[in-house]
Amino acid sequence: MRTTTADIERVDRQKGGMWLWLLQRISAAVLLFGLITHLIATHILSIGELSYDNIAERLQSGFFITVDILLLAASVFHALNGTRMVLLDYFFKDVARRRILDVVLLVFGLAAFVYGLWALWPWITT
Amino acid sequence: MVGLRRPPAWCKRSRGAAIALDESKTLGKSREREEANVGAGLWKGVGMWAWILFRISGLILVAYLFVHIVIISQGEVGGPDTLDKLFEMFENPFLAFLDFMLVAAVLYHGLNGVRVILMDFGVGIRSHKAVFWFVMAIAAGLLAWFAVVAAPHIF
Repeated sequence: MRTTTADIERVDRQKGGMWLWLLQRISAAVLLFGLITHLIATHILSIGELSYDNIAERLQSGFFITVDILLLAASVFHALNGTRMVLLDYFFKDVARRRILDVVLLVFGLAAFVYGLWALWPWITT
Repeated sequence: MVGLRRPPAWCKRSRGAAIALDESKTLGKSREREEANVGAGLWKGVGMWAWILFRISGLILVAYLFVHIVIISQGEVGGPDTLDKLFEMFENPFLAFLDFMLVAAVLYHGLNGVRVILMDFGVGIRSHKAVFWFVMAIAAGLLAWFAVVAAPHIF
C-alpha cells in the first residue's frame, strides 16, 4: 500500500513530531542567548584580535565553556532539524525515504557534535 | 478596513447602481481577506516575505555553521599557527564585510524567530505585522552597533 501524507502525519504524531517541534523552540531560546553572548564576545569585544590564544583566554572561564558547548549542541540540532523541515516541505513524501533522511541527519549531527567537542577540547582542558 | 456604507432606506436604487454596489461589496471582501492579519492574510505581503527570508537566512546559517566548525577545528587539526593564519586571512575587508552580513542574517533569523515563537504561544497573531516591524527595529538597532564596530575593519 502506498503511504500518504495522512500516514506520515500519523507516524509523526506517534513518533515525536511534537518533540522535535518543542526541541526546535528550546534550542532557539538557547541560541538566542548563546549567540548574542558569542557575537558580542567575538565581533565586538575581540574584533580584529581573534587568534588561538584569544580563544584560549576566553575559554579559561567556565561560563564561556558552558556557552560554547551549549551553542555547539543547540546549533547543530537547530540547523539539521531546520534543514529537515525545509526538505520535508518539498521532498521525501515517502515514509521509507524519510526514515533514511532522519538516520542520515542524526548520524551527521552526532558526528558534527563530537567533532566540534574534540576541536574545543585542547582549549577547554588547558 | 473602511466599512462599506449601506445606502439609506429611502434610496431607490436603479439596477445599475445595485450591481455597482454588489461589485464594490465583493471587491471589498477580497481586499479585506488579502489585507487581513490572520488566515490567508498571514501568508501575504509582510508575512510571506518574512517567511521566505526566514528560510533563506536559515539555510545560509546552516551552511555557515558547518564551515565555522571546520575552520575553528583547524586549531586542533593543524595546530595554533594554522588557525592564526586563517584568522589573518579573515582580516580581508571583503571577508569582514561577509562576516558583518552574517551577523545581519543571525539577527534577522533570531528576531523573526522570536516573533514566530510568540505566535506559537498565541501572542500577537492579529498584530503580527506590527510585531514584525517591532522586532526588526530591535534587529536594526543591534546591527547598527555591530556596524559601527565592524566599519574600521571593512573600510
